[in-house]
Amino acid sequence: MNAMPPTLQRDDDRMIVNLGPSHPSTHGTLRLILELDGEFVTKGTPEIGYLHRGVEKLGENLSYQQFIPLTDRLNYCSSIMNNVGYTLAVEKLLGIQDPPRSQVIRVLVSELSRIGDHLVCVGINAVDIGAFTAFLYLFKERETIYDLLEMAAGQRLHTSFTRIGGLMRDIPEGFLPLLEQFQESLPRTLDEMEKLLTRNPIWYDRTKGVGKITPEDAIAWGYTGPCLRAAGLAQDLRKAQPYLGYEGYEFDIPIGTTGDVYDRYLVRTEEMRQSHRIIQQCIQKLRELGPGPVIVDDYKVALPPKDKVYTRMESLIHHFKLVMHGIDMPVGEVYSATEAANGELGFYIVSDGGKSPYRIHVRPPCFPIFNSFDEQARGTLIADAVAILGAMNIIAGELDR
Amino acid sequence: MPTPTLTQTLVIALIQAILVVIFIFVIVPLTIYAERKVLGHIQLRLGATRIAGTHTGLTGLVNRSMWKLGKVPVLAYWRGIPMLVGDILKMILKEDVRPTKADRFVFFLAPSLSFVAAVMAFAAVSFVPGTFFTFPKWVPLVGGLPLSGGMADVNVGLLWILGIASVGVYGIVLAGWASNSKYPLLGSLRSGAQIVSYEVPLTLSLLAPVLMSGSLQFSHMATTMATGLPFWGIVPQMLGFLVYFTCGFAETNRLPFDMPEAENELVAGFHTEYSGMKFGFFYLGEYINMAVVSALAAGFFLGGPWLLPFGLQGLVNPYLPAWLGQPCALFFVVKIVLLLFVFIWVRGTIPRYRYDQIMAVAWKYLIPLALVNLLLAAMVRYLAV
Repeated sequence: MNAMPPTLQRDDDRMIVNLGPSHPSTHGTLRLILELDGEFVTKGTPEIGYLHRGVEKLGENLSYQQFIPLTDRLNYCSSIMNNVGYTLAVEKLLGIQDPPRSQVIRVLVSELSRIGDHLVCVGINAVDIGAFTAFLYLFKERETIYDLLEMAAGQRLHTSFTRIGGLMRDIPEGFLPLLEQFQESLPRTLDEMEKLLTRNPIWYDRTKGVGKITPEDAIAWGYTGPCLRAAGLAQDLRKAQPYLGYEGYEFDIPIGTTGDVYDRYLVRTEEMRQSHRIIQQCIQKLRELGPGPVIVDDYKVALPPKDKVYTRMESLIHHFKLVMHGIDMPVGEVYSATEAANGELGFYIVSDGGKSPYRIHVRPPCFPIFNSFDEQARGTLIADAVAILGAMNIIAGELDR
Repeated sequence: MPTPTLTQTLVIALIQAILVVIFIFVIVPLTIYAERKVLGHIQLRLGATRIAGTHTGLTGLVNRSMWKLGKVPVLAYWRGIPMLVGDILKMILKEDVRPTKADRFVFFLAPSLSFVAAVMAFAAVSFVPGTFFTFPKWVPLVGGLPLSGGMADVNVGLLWILGIASVGVYGIVLAGWASNSKYPLLGSLRSGAQIVSYEVPLTLSLLAPVLMSGSLQFSHMATTMATGLPFWGIVPQMLGFLVYFTCGFAETNRLPFDMPEAENELVAGFHTEYSGMKFGFFYLGEYINMAVVSALAAGFFLGGPWLLPFGLQGLVNPYLPAWLGQPCALFFVVKIVLLLFVFIWVRGTIPRYRYDQIMAVAWKYLIPLALVNLLLAAMVRYLAV
């Protein structure tokens, strides 16, 4: 392995500008090499790997349970969705399903973090375009989301909330009242933001027609998530192959028409409102379900409760076996995809029956999207390139893994 | 009134210059502070609150004594005020880094040009027409002599201001060039194109007051626009005011026209490579420019030192106190401050234009509008005078 710097073919006397690795508009550590003809971008070469930590390789030496904290660090704007996606993959391999209460809570926190992710994306995109105020309006809501996640998981950013077979713990007492407050204030904040942006002529001029993509091209590049839906395809894994009982929730898939930055912004905004709807139904379902277990009752998969461990021989042995030897995994391979905030987040796991997986592969949603950056940015101005980059919502953590 | 000797004239001029500089250096840090606070409140935060601790510094002293008195200190909110000093100190004390391959002389020249041009534009601004105040008899050397309301209220005042203001763009372009770096170069070229484009509608919109007052002298224009018109100047001049103020945003590189700096595209634009007090000169220059633009708008469109703009001065009720109808420097300053607030307000509200759109706004909308405004002013002038 010899690491070679990317070779740059310089033709004519075009200016080559480095956007990144540390630049105000590359959120996270990524690098774009822009070839400029005046203000126009003639070529944009994305270079990745600045945040590469070898997550997939690390996973080969960790037990299935131990990999969960590493999934937090993939898309750190919505880490719970990574937790959920990964545990669903392992559960699919095991052939088990978590209890209904756990499913509802998983949906609830996933939608919360979807809102959080979209808030960040829309807000940061607005900052890139110069609208700082909208960003701070949105961040007020994001604070509440993080407060909620902290109540649930004990951590704000790197939640590690799920366990194989369920959840780490049930949501605490004060969670639902705060959630209801949030449910009340989120639509107002979104309305405020839309007042600032949606009909703002400058915002419209800056985003309309920038980064257009046809549905065919979008599919060819491997787009998923809001970027694909903005291009006009109602593709959503929550509807297409429902998991966690998403078929039991009422929500719509917003789609755009042209796939430009404006449509992506509108789609994300509407998705937040739809997530808001789903959360409302989650609250109702939680009330209907009443208290119950949040993790499977199978001690071969999930740790037995502590009081049993301290009092019963069987449980102590299970605890010991689970911690020391891990779960008894069947031999096989599985690909499981969930609809994360950015698109299809897939986990491909190959198991040889051992303590740790033989191979883990993560399919991050923003990797294929980022590939198309050159095509999207070519011929636009620098300012557009920055807007496109923001609307793609590149999260370096999951891009480089 | 005695004719002043040469020495007396020079001393008075010096005093005037010092007064204007003091004015600038009072209003600029206050604008910076106000920007932090106002933006903070627009954006659901408190703005600058953290310069002095609860226990140290002057505010700390006050806070402690308030606790001792059994009162909750209310000064916490205002604790950002020492930042006015802190900012300047920071800029002076910071290391002045110069890129190895930068052009040494031009790198030094650029911020000074930018700053000096901004300050010098203030010379022709007249705060009050005629005498600002008369020195009391007991003052040595200049006792009994008048101090006029403007430093150099010359009869080509507007020409001077516009001319000096366009020198400022050299500072920006040279900064970009001398830095020998790509982002500053892009930023400065953008800025050059932008300011040159926007000077056209700016000048055209300022021609309307010139036409209506028949003068280029700041105080004369302000007087005519506020009191001398036989009609309400508001109808033909509203458009001119809006065009002028929009161009003012572009001239001072403020949002939505902050292309040269466009933080998220060009890092910091033309002053990316600058640090220390050299950066400070650009920074202060921008705020002084804002004050100049506001002063011109206040003088030519908003009635200058009179209470009411646009020739509405006749509306002042004669039963009100007489000073309301008199010119007063305070009115002028209040108008400047109000316009500075608008600068901050706009920054907190709207996004940034793209480079080509900025140009389109100037050439497609503002210049035709300014021409229409000029035509209107000419017609009004022809029909009414």
